[in-house]
Amino acid sequence: MLGLADDDKLRGLLAEVGRGDAAALARFYDLTSPKLFGVILRIQRDRGLAEDVLQDAYLRVWQAAGSYDPAAGRPLPWLCAIARNRAIDSLRRRGATEVQRPAEDDSEDWVARLMDPHDDATAFMDRDALSTCLNRLEPMHRDCVVLAYCEGYSREELAQRFDRPVNTIKTWLHRALAALKSCLETVS
Amino acid sequence: MSGGGGEPAPDPDLRAAEYVLGTLDASERAEMDRAIAVDPGTASRVRAWERRLAPLLDAIPPASPAPRVRAALLRSLPGAVPAEPDQLAALRRQVRRWRIVSAGAGLLAAGLALFVGVGLRPGQEGGRYLAVVQGGGTLPALIVRVDTRTGTAQVRPVGAETPEGRALELWYVGAGGPKSIGLVEAASSRVALPAGASPDGAIAVSVEPPGGSPTGQPTGPVIYSGKLIPE
Repeated sequence: MLGLADDDKLRGLLAEVGRGDAAALARFYDLTSPKLFGVILRIQRDRGLAEDVLQDAYLRVWQAAGSYDPAAGRPLPWLCAIARNRAIDSLRRRGATEVQRPAEDDSEDWVARLMDPHDDATAFMDRDALSTCLNRLEPMHRDCVVLAYCEGYSREELAQRFDRPVNTIKTWLHRALAALKSCLETVS
Repeated sequence: MSGGGGEPAPDPDLRAAEYVLGTLDASERAEMDRAIAVDPGTASRVRAWERRLAPLLDAIPPASPAPRVRAALLRSLPGAVPAEPDQLAALRRQVRRWRIVSAGAGLLAAGLALFVGVGLRPGQEGGRYLAVVQGGGTLPALIVRVDTRTGTAQVRPVGAETPEGRALELWYVGAGGPKSIGLVEAASSRVALPAGASPDGAIAVSVEPPGGSPTGQPTGPVIYSGKLIPE
């Protein structure tokens, strides 16, 4: 996975992409596409559609690289935000009912994996704070947040999975997000 | 479940959080996209939530996309034309894309090519046209004054940046495709237009090897462009 050491390289490439350098975009793609495709594929399970989303995300990078502000954050989260938005748009446009999800989805797993310091240590502080705060949430509320963020669950899909009315899910999400925010402010 | 009545206006921060989480429906997302584009407060709330939740993505395993995605991406880049036999068709496609892009330019923070969208009145008696040629920056790259009566153009560089070790080549893009009208010089210069150049064209600038395109067609990415408007 890409660590902080690669950030400077990615920033440099983004600057070149911003000047219209297609070869720089190709290098940027080679470095980041496996991570990005992983993120997209968790949300958009249809491989063909996920590949469309991937291409679309890099086209957006091509257009927006000039406006990427290194002060606004690390390049990889910036890129992931673009990809997640595209992936979720592709789901929501198709409506909530068609998504096929494998049975082994387990949000518990994500929180556990969050704790695993497998790559760069610099992001670990953030990750540590987030997993601490996620673990303080009501388990079902936390699962809603993680399933929505990592797997693209809609409110309706969460309602179905937890067998609750959609309005209850909305309330859970709002409570969980508000609690998460105030916890992150004190922990980090 | 709150009992009946109108729902209270959603808390802007929770709205931003749900946008990032992905649980808004399509119309709510579109509404947020508009708000992000015009309201810095909304944009910064969204960025803050992206930062808070991003560590969750660390846990997601990478996956390899099919190689054809990379090839298709590089073929589809507006403004970058890879070594491809039919440069002309590629540039025509590109011009079409610019038009599409410029239609949505309000939403694009930095489009590759922003047209100066002023209606053309061909056959205007003066025969003098102006193109403000620009990329994504705040300064125009070049100002090109075209005089169709004399068949010449005055090229005035403003903020054009030439990548190191490369040259910038100017193209007149008309119905017949791109025609080279010379390299961008450091100082103002006068260049001859291709025969039959009409005012409903555009001026584009591509990155080329020193000395200019070896093929007579753009070979590198088009980094600046602008449409001719009557002066």
